[in-house]
Amino acid sequence: MYILKNAITSITRNKGRNILIGIIIMIISASVAVTLAINNTASSLIKSYKEKYQVEATISINRENMMKDFNPEDKENSKSNMKEMFSLANNISVSDIEKYADSKYVKSYYYTQTVRVNANIEKAEMTSNNDMLDKRKDDNDDNKEGETTTDFNLKGYSSYDAMSEFVSGNYKITDGEVFEDFDSNKCLINIELATLNNLKIGDTITVIDTASNTYDLVISGIYEEKEDTDSGMKMFANSANTIITSTNFITKMSETNQDLAITTNPTFILTSSSVVDKFSSELTSKGLNENLTVQTNLDQVENATSTISNVKTFAVTFLIITLIIGAVVLLIINMINIRERKYEIGVLRTIGMKKSKVCLQFVLELLIVAFASLLLGAFTGAMISVPVSNSLLKNEITDSQESNNNIQENFGHGSSNKQNDRKFNGVANVEAFDSINATVDMKVLLELLGIGLSLTLISSLSAILSIEKFSPLTILKERS
Amino acid sequence: MGKVILKLDNVSYRYDDAEADDYVLKDINYSFETGKVYAIKGKSGSGKTTLLSLLSGLESNYEGSIEFDGKELKNIDLDNYRSRDIGIVFQSYNLLPHLTAIENIILSMNVSNLNIANKEEQAISLMEKVGLTKNQKDRRVLKLSGGEQQRVAIARSLSYNPLMILADEPTGNLDKETENEILKIFKNLAKEDKCIIIVTHSENVCDQADIVYELVKNKKKRS
Repeated sequence: MYILKNAITSITRNKGRNILIGIIIMIISASVAVTLAINNTASSLIKSYKEKYQVEATISINRENMMKDFNPEDKENSKSNMKEMFSLANNISVSDIEKYADSKYVKSYYYTQTVRVNANIEKAEMTSNNDMLDKRKDDNDDNKEGETTTDFNLKGYSSYDAMSEFVSGNYKITDGEVFEDFDSNKCLINIELATLNNLKIGDTITVIDTASNTYDLVISGIYEEKEDTDSGMKMFANSANTIITSTNFITKMSETNQDLAITTNPTFILTSSSVVDKFSSELTSKGLNENLTVQTNLDQVENATSTISNVKTFAVTFLIITLIIGAVVLLIINMINIRERKYEIGVLRTIGMKKSKVCLQFVLELLIVAFASLLLGAFTGAMISVPVSNSLLKNEITDSQESNNNIQENFGHGSSNKQNDRKFNGVANVEAFDSINATVDMKVLLELLGIGLSLTLISSLSAILSIEKFSPLTILKERS
Repeated sequence: MGKVILKLDNVSYRYDDAEADDYVLKDINYSFETGKVYAIKGKSGSGKTTLLSLLSGLESNYEGSIEFDGKELKNIDLDNYRSRDIGIVFQSYNLLPHLTAIENIILSMNVSNLNIANKEEQAISLMEKVGLTKNQKDRRVLKLSGGEQQRVAIARSLSYNPLMILADEPTGNLDKETENEILKIFKNLAKEDKCIIIVTHSENVCDQADIVYELVKNKKKRS
């Protein structure tokens, strides 16, 4: 007990020295606190991003596999075979999707269905000065020779999550809203199609399948497609002739016309990035066509977090450098401290204080000063970590918040209360993170105290070794 | 006749880096009894301070035997020996400057780990015994005069009631009057059946000692 009392007396009676040590430890701990706060904030941002960009697996054509069977010397036959393979590969049924989705690696799933139809409205003509587009159009016409010409794509979505174009902001409702009842006969049309045909919310359009069956759809929303700023081309939107409805509506159509050529594209939300290969193997064992392959958005997730990862890497590097410098500074302080207090050690040893108790007193003194300085450093760090972290991660935080708001607006409800009613299960259900997380919380405080006190103890080793080495007689002789 | 508390038997000592036959102390055979004041005198380099270092357990790399109360010093815990059995007084006082007079004394009591009741009262009593006043107890030692500091050092050495006091030139920095006062304290302590060993240059100290040992390099003399 008297050792602790001695330590406290020594601290209070040698204010100058201990304040200096305290300031140095405080600066180091404030730097460590800020770095830890940035690191933790960056980690939570990455986690948030990874939740937002959940691991999505889609099934697509395995072109590499298909090309193996391509024979350049027999182009006609090979082309025909490939066309057949494409058709087979695309022919994924809803029951297949349900079978694939029945996996422990799948959190949720959704799908889209597309079918070609005619309608009782005038289609939006493609106008372009691009020869390639004209050529494609001609090729398309050639392909449909002898068949009923279809002018429109009828695209069905199984849920809000499936409406990835709206989630990503590629499509945005300009009038009305996305239908909420996926069993209804409601639809969304492109603004160009609506303008051309003078269509508005509540109007009914009739679509006609290849067997001339007719189906009525009521317009619930009009959307626009984001302009392709990268290409710099001005033309009719790609979606101009796409009518959006639910997969349930297309299923009803297929019940009427069983020969309807429906293309189904599933998306599976996986439990984690580590199960991609296992899920792929499971699908193969469940009979996935060999010309189909599982593709994921892992690259997209990595790209989305690369900036924050860089900030995190910077924070970790800075933390390591700070700790190394801190350890060296503490070691030097300790060595200077011990040299300065050599006489005191000599006296204590001469009056019979054991080496272990002298060491204990010196370590206790340093720990008390370090503990107080660490707390002050943490407090200072907390004060400056918020602006520093938020400044470093400003863009990511803003993007997250904007993205979250935009999703709701894209569906046609803006920031109204209805957004809370939406039943998102996948990519769009992640809340935006905010700047408040970038603080020195209890976790950071404990990490800081752990690191700081460990460093102090390690640097105290120099004191302990010196005390072990010192001979009281030599010290006192030197003094005399 | 007092009890022999310390006995040196053919004690020799040379520094680690000295040549094989270059002894500072050679075949010393002294014995010290309780109730007496001993003075050890000799010229500079005769080994007085070295002898005191051996007696105080600060140096233990000697040849021969030093027995304290019948036990060989090499075989006992020297930290306990210094903190309980002997008190050491130095010429340069060796007090802790950041502590007050009374704190220096109480620290020594604490280090001894002995069960001493009412430490503060005991410390004040010791201070009065060596001629210090109550007003001086809370003064930092550096604010005391040389004589006062030496009195604090003596009070510190008595704080755990040791059997023996070893003093290295305790009056070397003091004037004649103060020297006599300090010597008076030592003589009173001897009357309390303590063994007082003083290493000194001072003829005055030697005159007042009960027994004087003179050290000559590699030789010894008793007067």
